[in-house]
Amino acid sequence: MTETIRARAMGRPLERLDGRDKVVGQAPYAYEQQVTDPLYLHPVQAVIARGRINAIDTADAESLPGVVTVLTHLNAPRLTGDGDGDDRELWVLQSDEVHFRGQFIGVVVAETSEIARHAADLVRVEYERWPHDVELSADRDDLYAPDKVNAGHDTDTDVGDVAAALADAPVVVDHTYRTPMEYNNPMEPHATVAVWDAGGLTMYDSTQGVHVVRQRLAPLFGLDPGHVRVVAPHVGGGFGSKGAPHAHNVLAGLAAQVTGGRPVKLAVTRQQMFSVVGHRTPTIQRIGLGAETDGRLTALVHEVVEHTSRIVEYAEQTAVVSRMMYAAPNRRTRHRLAALDVPVPFWMRAPGEAPGAFALEVAMDELAVACGLDPVELRIRNEPDVDPESGRPFSGRRMSECLREGARRFGWESRDPTPAARLRDGWLEGTGVAASVYPRIMQTGNRAWVRYGPDGRYEVGIGAVDIGTGTWTALTQIAADALEVPVEEVRLRIGDTDLPEAAVAGGSGGLSAWGSAVVGAARAFREKFGRHPSAGDEATGTAPESPAAEDFSMYSFGAQFAHVRVHADTGEIRVPRMLGVFTVGRVVNPRTARSQFVGAMTMGLSMALHEEAVLDPRFGHVVNHDLATYHIATHADVQDVDAIWLDEEDPRSNPMGIRGIGEIGIVGAAAAVANAVHHATGVRVRDLPITPDKLFH
Amino acid sequence: MEFLRPLSWEEALALRAGRPDAVPIQGGTDVMVEINFEVRRPGALLDLNPVRELAEWEMAEGRLRIGAGLPYTRLIEEVGDRVPGLAQAARTVGSPQIRNRGTVGGNLGAASPAGDCHPPLLAAGAQVEVESAAGGVRMIPAEEFYLGVKRTALRDDELIRAVWLRPAEGPQHFSKVGTRNAMVIAVCSFAIALHPAERRVGTGIGSAAPTPLRAAEAEEFLAGELAGEPAWGRSLPDGLAERFGELVGRAAAPIDDVRGTAAYRRHALAVMARRTLTWAWQDRLAGTGRS
Ligand SMILES: Cc1cc2nc3c(=O)[nH]c(=O)nc-3n(C[C@H](O)[C@H](O)[C@H](O)COP(=O)(O)OP(=O)(O)OC[C@H]3O[C@@H](n4cnc5c(N)ncnc54)[C@H](O)[C@@H]3O)c2cc1C
Repeated sequence: MTETIRARAMGRPLERLDGRDKVVGQAPYAYEQQVTDPLYLHPVQAVIARGRINAIDTADAESLPGVVTVLTHLNAPRLTGDGDGDDRELWVLQSDEVHFRGQFIGVVVAETSEIARHAADLVRVEYERWPHDVELSADRDDLYAPDKVNAGHDTDTDVGDVAAALADAPVVVDHTYRTPMEYNNPMEPHATVAVWDAGGLTMYDSTQGVHVVRQRLAPLFGLDPGHVRVVAPHVGGGFGSKGAPHAHNVLAGLAAQVTGGRPVKLAVTRQQMFSVVGHRTPTIQRIGLGAETDGRLTALVHEVVEHTSRIVEYAEQTAVVSRMMYAAPNRRTRHRLAALDVPVPFWMRAPGEAPGAFALEVAMDELAVACGLDPVELRIRNEPDVDPESGRPFSGRRMSECLREGARRFGWESRDPTPAARLRDGWLEGTGVAASVYPRIMQTGNRAWVRYGPDGRYEVGIGAVDIGTGTWTALTQIAADALEVPVEEVRLRIGDTDLPEAAVAGGSGGLSAWGSAVVGAARAFREKFGRHPSAGDEATGTAPESPAAEDFSMYSFGAQFAHVRVHADTGEIRVPRMLGVFTVGRVVNPRTARSQFVGAMTMGLSMALHEEAVLDPRFGHVVNHDLATYHIATHADVQDVDAIWLDEEDPRSNPMGIRGIGEIGIVGAAAAVANAVHHATGVRVRDLPITPDKLFH
Repeated sequence: MEFLRPLSWEEALALRAGRPDAVPIQGGTDVMVEINFEVRRPGALLDLNPVRELAEWEMAEGRLRIGAGLPYTRLIEEVGDRVPGLAQAARTVGSPQIRNRGTVGGNLGAASPAGDCHPPLLAAGAQVEVESAAGGVRMIPAEEFYLGVKRTALRDDELIRAVWLRPAEGPQHFSKVGTRNAMVIAVCSFAIALHPAERRVGTGIGSAAPTPLRAAEAEEFLAGELAGEPAWGRSLPDGLAERFGELVGRAAAPIDDVRGTAAYRRHALAVMARRTLTWAWQDRLAGTGRS
């Protein structure tokens, strides 16, 4: 157990410290950074899914007034390294090969963005086309098991004898669930401004981690990390897609080398984002549940087939949720990949847990129906005493309380379980429940400093990033409590690699890691200088892993409830109410936290009903590559979405007692909606998104 | 790309005649998307916004003449009570921003099979007033206006001036199914207009065939079943709305696409036809909705 700091500022719904700047437009995002005399970039993208560039003619583009140069694999500066492993996504303009449609094969550098875009259209490319393959299916003969899946999890697990348990089980639910290819689509498209001068490379970037961008790019450009500076004071969302640099960052870095020191600006368009900044893989998931007639699970099988790109392996950890969620003595999980000629998949909010919990939690609902049990009760009956995967106790698992509290607030006790039994004004009504879970993740490599300024305020510095979640505010609250001063006496500095090393804003672990480092620095500062420092006093601290991490399994949990109305004749689906009850350790700022929960639940609703990228097998591109056709829930689709959390702290997690909140809200949300649709209509849709036509088979 | 800005209708027609490669632009909510997405790159844009009269409406010869450039927001507010079917459709278009810019003329010009204005225009028996410098004015009945996917009866040198509709003589309804609640292209849509004086019901189907279309057989069926004065004063005979719905579903020629399956479209059309007819009839019997 770590010693927690006393909560005075923490727990208060402080308004965003950067709110005013954002509202009046004074908070600079990457593309708006003021640089002198910039040039503008527009990429050229491959229009085949696989092959080789035979010829690339840039003459017309280069002769357009205002065009400075056009870079292709023939004339781009060389990158350093061998272009292997994960670097293959970043190995931009280094060879004539095309690995997926939309890949960057050139870039125009011009005086205005309009000229650059126009010129990009004038580049003529001749390809040698090779056959491509972008179709995922569970019966491909080339599926393979990756060495590990994302976040370092084992690919497969086997506990007990699943086959025997399933064969013996009096109740068996065994089905296949599918989730489509999905896109993060943060509000702010990816953008970067690069300056290459005598001092090295400076990049103003829309990223979830300035340090990760530096770590990945410096070696590629043959630069010492000290000669790469990455700056990101404000970021308009990422949902994982900005968790690492992508090809556009390299493109900007290459272009910045040939402009004689003039800065270059690159804004990735919404359509380009569907090719180059990651996506969530489609999944095909088999869930097999074996249970006693009282609902107690005896077997749990979760087998996943998903895709990865041929050039970089990304294996979504879709089945890991089934390893620790329920107390089934016999369990089997599998991840199998098809390596396809698709853009590189990457993190999207709750990678693994979001699609995995959809399948598991719908299957649990099916089991409840099969056993004639209330789905809340079924889950409570299968609550494990210790983590089924590791055998360790949980640092806190108040899952049953979340289920009960949610049920109470949702009016669950009066629910008639009969499906398709409530027709009101032509609409079938139904309610559904699902469980949520997300691991508490502690990332390593975090440092912070505390300096006492001449103005009597404490400056606190760490190279963290606020991606719109409220880090400016919440981390200030933590710093204030760590130093035992009011928030007004703290001046936070983040978003710059000139500040100490900090982990990416990802895995719902940003605030845990950064906050721990800030606490470490504050403690070091007080130890050294006491309560009455002098101007200029400074101390640094790090974020050691909590000793309890060895002995405890740490997860956040939740229960989500959804009320849906399905039109009896047309199948149109409305979601008048969603409620999430979460147990996440301490909540540092209820105001910003609520936005995370409600936002993620809304994203889950969107996943349930709307989101689906349609990949055209003939050409290998996403057809609906814009927000007009890739549907995301609109305001009119979102009605009453509410989130509450149990009052608690988790002292085993870190000195703030927090476990992370950014992703759990999307986990289980789609399942709750799907289960409610079943309750309303009697139709079980196992294939997201749930569209009206799927209700009429 | 050249940007042509005629200040009067005559000038617009003259420019149109001289520049067949020019693309007219009104609200731009279709045109700008196409340019942005590089669907097309016209040699010139012919901006109709300065032609003030296009954004006006008037009553003439007992009919409403709605200028091609009247934005949806104003259409709903200013004439919505007289063209309730069209106004209902207009309310479902895009978002407030799109309704502030988008127009009926633009919807007709784009002629997407999913355009929301088409079904109510068909059901109401609207006429499209088009004009060219050389050929003068032509009045094209809505049902003859749509020739194919995004193809219309408009000639190269013509512009759309207005749509003409009789103020609603009876109840009108519009219904649209989409895969979300706003900002959505119709999976399919249906409009109905009662014409009590003619003892007939008009229909319009959207997003379920290469062009918007009338459900002719369904219309004839109703006209036959409801022949004679007494029928129009009584409740709908049992099963009539259902049969009507089936015929409307049969009139469509839908496809499977990312928005929905063909089978679902037929089903939904039948449902919408049945529902809208029932509503319209209830309105009629209750004396609401102009008759
Ligand atoms: C976000 C978004 C949501 C949308 N949602 C919907 C929706 O729900 N339902 C729907 O039906 N549509 C929708 N649309 C499409 C569009 O808004 C409508 O079709 C609208 O009616 C177009 O009107 P406009 O004045 O903007 O047309 P413009 O874009 O200016 O023009 C459209 C076409 O008509 C031609 N044109 C315009 N005026 C004339 C004229 N006087 N004479 C001859 N040709 C002319 C143009 O050349 C062009 O081909 C949406 C568009 C967007 C961007």
